[in-house]
Amino acid sequence: MTTATADMTNATKTTATTAPRAHGVSLDALPQGRETLSLEREHIALEVRDLNLHYGEKQALHGINMDIPKNRVTAFIGPSGCGKSTLLRCFNRMNDLVDGCRVDGQILLEGSNIYDRSVEVADLRRRVGMVFQKPNPFPKSIYENVAYGLRIQGVKKKRLIDETVEWALRSAALWDEVKDRLHESALGMSGGQQQRLVIARTIAVKPEVLLLDEPASALDPISTLKIEELIHELKQNFTIVIVTHNMQQAARVSDYTAFMYMGDLIEFGDTDSLFTTPGKKQTEDYITGRYG
Amino acid sequence: MNTSFNDWFRSGAPWVWLTGGAVAINVIMVAGLLILIAWRGLGHFWPADILQAHYQVPNSEAVRVIGEVADTERVPAEQLRQAGVPVPEGTETMARHLLKVGNRDVTGLDFQWALKDNLEEVQYPERLFAAERREWGNFYGYLRGLKQDGEEVARFDPATDDDADYEQLWNDFLQRVERALSIHEQIKTIEKGDIGAINYELERLRLKERRHELDGDLTPQVQADIQSQRDELNRRYEGLQGELTELYRAFNRDHYLAEVANGREMEIAVSHVVRAYRPNAMGMVDKAGHYLSKLWEFLSDEPREANTEGGVFPAIFGTVMMVLLMSIMVTPFGVIAAVYLREYARQGPLTRLIRIAVNNLAGVPSIVYGVFGLGFFIYFLGGTIDPLFFPEALPSPTFGTPGLMWASLTLALLTVPVVIVATEEGLARIPRAVREGSLALGATKAETLWKVVLPMASPAMMTGVILAVARAAGEVAPLMLVGVVKLAPSLPLDTNYPYIHLDQKFMHLGFHIYDVGFQSPNVEAARPLVYATALLLVVVIALLNLTAVAIRNRLREKYKALEH
Repeated sequence: MTTATADMTNATKTTATTAPRAHGVSLDALPQGRETLSLEREHIALEVRDLNLHYGEKQALHGINMDIPKNRVTAFIGPSGCGKSTLLRCFNRMNDLVDGCRVDGQILLEGSNIYDRSVEVADLRRRVGMVFQKPNPFPKSIYENVAYGLRIQGVKKKRLIDETVEWALRSAALWDEVKDRLHESALGMSGGQQQRLVIARTIAVKPEVLLLDEPASALDPISTLKIEELIHELKQNFTIVIVTHNMQQAARVSDYTAFMYMGDLIEFGDTDSLFTTPGKKQTEDYITGRYG
Repeated sequence: MNTSFNDWFRSGAPWVWLTGGAVAINVIMVAGLLILIAWRGLGHFWPADILQAHYQVPNSEAVRVIGEVADTERVPAEQLRQAGVPVPEGTETMARHLLKVGNRDVTGLDFQWALKDNLEEVQYPERLFAAERREWGNFYGYLRGLKQDGEEVARFDPATDDDADYEQLWNDFLQRVERALSIHEQIKTIEKGDIGAINYELERLRLKERRHELDGDLTPQVQADIQSQRDELNRRYEGLQGELTELYRAFNRDHYLAEVANGREMEIAVSHVVRAYRPNAMGMVDKAGHYLSKLWEFLSDEPREANTEGGVFPAIFGTVMMVLLMSIMVTPFGVIAAVYLREYARQGPLTRLIRIAVNNLAGVPSIVYGVFGLGFFIYFLGGTIDPLFFPEALPSPTFGTPGLMWASLTLALLTVPVVIVATEEGLARIPRAVREGSLALGATKAETLWKVVLPMASPAMMTGVILAVARAAGEVAPLMLVGVVKLAPSLPLDTNYPYIHLDQKFMHLGFHIYDVGFQSPNVEAARPLVYATALLLVVVIALLNLTAVAIRNRLREKYKALEH
C-alpha cells in the first residue's frame, strides 16, 4: 500500500509529453497533461495467469495473462464477442452462474487465487463489485437499494447504514438529486440516475475493485458524461476495470487499455501509447475503424 | 360480386366479426346466467300478494283457496283432457297457477296447482295475513282472536266488528309476536351461548379425566379437582336450566286463533311465528322494508325447516373460512415447490416430467381428490393422529372424521398446481439483471431469492392464489366426502378455546345449493332459495377474488417490473 502511494506520487510528478495524434480517435478527448504511466511502477491489484474459459465445447478466452493496476482505470476494448465482458465477469466469478462454463488458470486478487476452492464466492463479490450494462436497481426505495449490500452483510446499526448510504450517494454524485426522496422507489428515477444509484449501491459495500460492464451504453450523452466524471473521481479509492464499446470513452476515462480480439488479449498497455502507437497490426486496424 | 367478397374477406372484417361475436356470446351467456339467478333468487324475498278465490272445477263443488301465486305456466289442453280435466273445445293451451297455500299442518301440502280459468271471484282482501313459522311452513288466513294462558283475551267477529277492530286485534297480535321473538332471542343466547359453553367445558373435563386415566396418573387429588370443577359447571347449568324453564313458560304463553281457507278455526302458538305480515295491506315502502328485512335474514340467520327457510349465514361463514384456510395452506406449498423447480432443480427431463405431472394434476376430476382426501387424510392421517394426540376422546374420532381442516387441505391439494404454475411463471419473468445485481453485491443465492426475487414474484403468486380461490370456492363434490354437512350445529369459529375448531364439520354454500335444491323435503318451497344461494355463492366468490386482485395490484405497484 505504501509503495503504491509512493509510486503514484512519483507518477504524478512526471510530466506528460504531448501525445501525437492517434489514428481514428480524436485525441482532444484525451486529457492533456496526463502523467506517463508504466505498468512496472504500479501496484498490481489483479493478476490474470493463463486464463482459459470454455462455454461447453467452445473456448471463449485463450490463455489470458495480464496485470491490472491498483487505483487505476483499466479499459477493455474490442469488437463484439471478443470476450471482454467474459473476462470481466471472471473477476467476480459471475461466470459461475452460466451453465457449462469452465475456467482454468488463475486470477490473483492481492496475491490469492479467487478460483481457489476455499474462496467463498459471496465474499469475493463483496471485494469485487460490478455494475452492469443496463441499470438494474431493485424495486425498493433509493435508500434500501444502497443499504442492500450492508444489510446482506448483517449491518444492523441504523446510524452506520445512514452514514454509508449518504457517503455512497455523495461519492456517486447523486446525493444532491435524491436526498429529499430517499424513500421513494428507485424505479422512478431516470436511466442515468439509476446507473449512478447502482454504482452507489456497489461502492457502499466498499469493494476493492469495481467492474463496469459498458456502464454507459444504455444512457444518453449527458448521463454518459456524468458517469465518466464519476469514474474519474472513483479511481482515487477503487481499482476500476471498465468494458466499453466506445473507443473515445476508453481513451477519455482509462489509464490502461487492453485490446482483445477473438478471445485473445492482443495488446495491453497504457492508454496513451496504445492509442497513439499501437504495437500490433490488429490493434491499429481496430482503432482506426477497419473493423469492429 | 366475387371480388368484393374477396376484398371483404381480405380486409379482415370477418375476423373482427367472428372474434367480436364470440366475445358477445360469452358476455350474453354470463349476463344471462347472472340475471336469471338474480331475478329468481332476489324476487323470492318480495312479499307476494295473497289471493283468495273460489276454485270451481266443473262438475264438482267449489272450494275456497287462499295463497300466493308462486308460478304460472301454460299447459297443452290435450294433456289436461287426457288427465280427465274438462277443457272447452278450441283451446290450445290453458294457464295454470302454482299456488302456495301454506298451512301444511292443515292440508298436508303447501303447494297446489289451479287452472286460471277455474278460479272465480279472485280478490285480495286486506285482512288476510301470512305468518312465517318455525315449523309447518307459512300460515295464511284471517286473524280471529288471541289467547293468553289458555284464556281468550280478544275476539274479532267479521259479522259485527269493523276494520278498526281488526287493526286493533292485529296490532295486539304483532306485539305478542314481538314479545315472543325477544324471549326466543334470550332462550337462544342461553342455549347456544351459555349452555353450549358449559357443555363444551364439561366435555373438556371429561377428556381431561380420561387423559389422566390413560396416563395412569389419575390421583384422587386430580379427580377431586375435576369433580369440583364439574360440580361448579353443573351448578351453573342448573341455574340456567331454571331460567330457561321460566323463559319457555313465558314464551309459550300466547296463542292466536285464525280462520283458514276451508273455514276452520285454528289455534296456533304465537311462539311459532317468526314474522307476520299482511301483504295486501302493505304499500310500496312497507314492502321494501319487508324485502330488506327478509334479505338480511337470509344473509345473517341460520337455516330453519330443513334448510328451506331462514338464512344461510353458517354456509357463507363456512365457505369463506374454508377458502381462507385453503389459501393459507396452498400458498406456501405451491410457492416452495415452484421455487425448487425453477431455482434449484437442474432443468432436465426429470423436472420436465414433474412439470407435466403438476399440470395434469390440475385436470384431475375433483371428486378424485375427495376420495383421496377421505382415504389418505381422514382415514390414514386422521386415524393416526387420533390415537397419538387425542386418545382420550376415542372411540369417537377427533381428526379421523371429515372436518374443516381436511376439507381445506384437500382443496389445497386440488389447487396447488395452479399456484405452482403461476409462481413458476412469475419467477421466470424476473429479469436476470436484477438477480445478478444482487449476487454481485455479495448476496448468496438464498439471500437473493428472499430479498429480491420472491418479493418481485409475489404478484404472480397472488395470481396463483386468485385462480386457486376461484376454483376452490366453487368446488362441491370433494367437500361432500371430506367435511361438509347439511346442517352444522355450531360455527367452526367461536369463543370457546381454542377458538378455531379445525376438526368440526361445516356448511358450504355450494353444498347448500345441492341440498336445498335436490335433497329437500319441500322442493317447491326451497327452489327460490336455490337461486338466491347460487347468487350469493357467485357474489362471495367474486368478493374473495376481488380482494385477492386488490392485494395483487398493490403488490404489482410496489414491485412493478423494470421497464426500459
